[in-house]
Amino acid sequence: MGTIGAILIRAGRRFISSLPALFGVLVFTFLLMRVLPGDPAVFFASGPNAGKEEIETIRKQMGLDKPLPAQLGIYLYDVGRGNLGRSMMTGQPVAKDLRERLPASLELTLTALLIALISAVPLGVIAALRPGSLIDHGVRLFCSLGVCVPTFVSGLLLIYVFYYLLGLAPDPTGRVDIFTTLPPSRTGFLIIDFLLAGDIEGWWAAARQLMLPAFTMALFVIAPLARITRASMLVSLGSDFIRTARSVGLSWWRVVVTYALRNAILPVITIAGIVFSTMLGANVLVEKVFSWPGVASYALDALLVSDYAPVQGFVLLMATIFVVVNLLVDLLYGIADPRATIA
Amino acid sequence: MSFAISKRILVVAAASLAVISATPRAHAQSRAETLRYVTGATVNTLDPNIPGSTREAFALSMSSYDRLVSFGRKQLNGKWVFDLDTITGELAESYTVSPDGLRITFKLRPDAKFQDGSPVTAEDVKWSLDRCVSAPILGKSQLLTGSLTSPDQFKVIDPLTFEVTLPKPDKLALPNLATVYPIIINSKLAKAHATADDPWALNWTKENAAGSGAYIVETFKPGEQVIAKHNDAWNRGTPDKPAAFKRLIIQSVPEPATRANLVERGDADLVIDLQASDVQALEGKGKLKVISTPQYNAVSFVSMNNRIPPFDNVNVRRAIAYALPYDDMFKAALFGRGAPLFGASWTDGKPPSGAYPIPQPVKLDLDKAKAYLKDAGMPDGFATTFSFNVGQAATAEPMAALVKESLAKIGIKVDIQKLPDAQMSTAINEKKLPFFTEGIVAWLPSTDYFYRNFYTGNQRWNYSSTDNTELEKIAQAARFEADKEKYEEEGRELNAIHFDQMFQIPIWQAAQDAVMQPSVDGYVYQFTRQVDYRNLSRK
Repeated sequence: MGTIGAILIRAGRRFISSLPALFGVLVFTFLLMRVLPGDPAVFFASGPNAGKEEIETIRKQMGLDKPLPAQLGIYLYDVGRGNLGRSMMTGQPVAKDLRERLPASLELTLTALLIALISAVPLGVIAALRPGSLIDHGVRLFCSLGVCVPTFVSGLLLIYVFYYLLGLAPDPTGRVDIFTTLPPSRTGFLIIDFLLAGDIEGWWAAARQLMLPAFTMALFVIAPLARITRASMLVSLGSDFIRTARSVGLSWWRVVVTYALRNAILPVITIAGIVFSTMLGANVLVEKVFSWPGVASYALDALLVSDYAPVQGFVLLMATIFVVVNLLVDLLYGIADPRATIA
Repeated sequence: MSFAISKRILVVAAASLAVISATPRAHAQSRAETLRYVTGATVNTLDPNIPGSTREAFALSMSSYDRLVSFGRKQLNGKWVFDLDTITGELAESYTVSPDGLRITFKLRPDAKFQDGSPVTAEDVKWSLDRCVSAPILGKSQLLTGSLTSPDQFKVIDPLTFEVTLPKPDKLALPNLATVYPIIINSKLAKAHATADDPWALNWTKENAAGSGAYIVETFKPGEQVIAKHNDAWNRGTPDKPAAFKRLIIQSVPEPATRANLVERGDADLVIDLQASDVQALEGKGKLKVISTPQYNAVSFVSMNNRIPPFDNVNVRRAIAYALPYDDMFKAALFGRGAPLFGASWTDGKPPSGAYPIPQPVKLDLDKAKAYLKDAGMPDGFATTFSFNVGQAATAEPMAALVKESLAKIGIKVDIQKLPDAQMSTAINEKKLPFFTEGIVAWLPSTDYFYRNFYTGNQRWNYSSTDNTELEKIAQAARFEADKEKYEEEGRELNAIHFDQMFQIPIWQAAQDAVMQPSVDGYVYQFTRQVDYRNLSRK
């Protein structure tokens, strides 16, 4: 109980100490967007007859007619009230767009991370157990390939094989087959919502739709995870306590999993946390290729047309998630290695 | 043990494979009655008048709203295209134009109902058109081109009769009422959602359709999809606009290769924005119907800013016009899919027609180009930048490379500049780009309209920053010219000035490639450069 309390206090303190950083990100993004060349009002006033008047109307609508400090003040005030502004691109409030799209991104990223961890950790362990062997080289080759092939190439390739040629996968357009009735939205995670609604057929449709993009993303991140597992397992396997454990005749499983892996897992958790945050923001290509309605493709589209509010909202969201993920990683440290809680 | 496990895995794998391959197609029977249209763009508002509306939003509004009148269709080189000269009633049963051309009287259909069941009256028409010319919306500047500017011009005679008065006879007044913006809105419903800040209920119509159109919007997810069902009470259909599909799915699929896969596999019914290379491949396979229509109301240019040196020198512009590798560009950028606007031969150097655009008598001729450069006093050439926007990269990138290569041969050093779309529009608006490629489109393509909107004034669409008093005078006169012969003559004069001064270089009209299942019938190229879903049916 005491330990949990200590962890919570530590987590809370960490979170509060990250608030200035979040504020900095907010102001920085705001200024950066305004410094970029490209006037959103001109872009959006692109009907065949849009003239000066339309441009002015849009400028006013976006609040761009006011001086910069006033704009910043209004923006900060709005953000403080939970209003992230309105997207010109979708015509919706940014907070609503992000709320609808974040679960899609999270669902995809978490599944991909899970797939990656499930395959990377055993691969890394096997490679570490027989360094220099054929298996080790095989894993290295697989990892190199995964990293070398850009995600949109592997994505298009998977679509070509599993959808186009074999017809096994559903059409790669979004989170669920378009003819499926959606479950009432409770969590926003379709595979959970379908389960809650007791709709197994729908769940299956959503899960199938998730597979190709998740594997595409997983392929890309298996490499860093497997490599770091291997490296840290090698250190751990060569250390004194493993020699001792082996010498007293403990079972293979206990030596490798309980002692070596548990000690080797810390860097893997760190990397997994970083990989997760990166994936969430950087999976824009996967989202594009699979028409996945996630936050990253939303932000990219907004950036191309200089739609300020969505980009600012997205960066703020990503910064917040980064902070939260780092906290989680810290908490996981405590579970993996009790010594970490004291530090 | 391990054998048992792997056997179990095998069984599970086999079972899941069986499930995958035996996917039950939900709503299989209604699939044939559903049109699934995939697009790289997105519908962002249900009211096409909202500033920032996308072209997909325009297309949807053609089906979710009715207008007073609508364009017919005609055949152009064997393809169906919209016809500016055939205007048929939509909510109007009939219309009459007074002999002096100053009054247009519309008789409304007595049986027309809004989607909520209330009748369409002249009051609704008045409110909707008033809104179009008074609210800060897109319709305002469009209707202006048809001399429709004030609510005073719209008059309710009786519940089924409506009158529009004009300050002078304007041949674009009636066609303007068939364009995207003058939608007829259920005024009672909209007024109920109006606020003091928003008297025209723009915030509400943005997300709610309150029209009488052929399709009722059921699901609207900006950036993802729109699903609409057929309005069974809709009786404004014509043989070429039957609105035959029971359900409409408009889905955003950003990746063009995925769109091509979808339509090839038969999962999507229609797509109009594939990459030229994919269209070529699909056409070659012969399984799908491909209808390529040159976008006859659009033009692509290599444009020069006539106010920035050295392009303020007419001989420099002429030199460029003879130094572009037209044929190679046409092949590399468009795979030859479109109508070229180069390589014509004009007898006596006079324009053969008063239409716009017409093919220009220019071709790659480096000697001529060098001679013009010499006349310009720059025999050794100069350095400049050539810009295009990221959104057009698929066609503009190969084009830019060819321009650079060819101009280098006459001593002009070109730096290629690729700009994000918003940045490009801003630079064009501020008249900062010297040399670039862009396109224009006119909903109501007539010669005077093109010249008035794209060659006059200090505004964004005057890409070349042309400021030519004679051109302006003729174009303004042509606007209200009732005599067809005279209009044609004025068009010819304008074309002659254009060629002589070489403000910018029209290069081609790219084709719109509509790729569809063989069963889809009735496709018409529309002024919006989008699909009018009401045209379509399944054989």
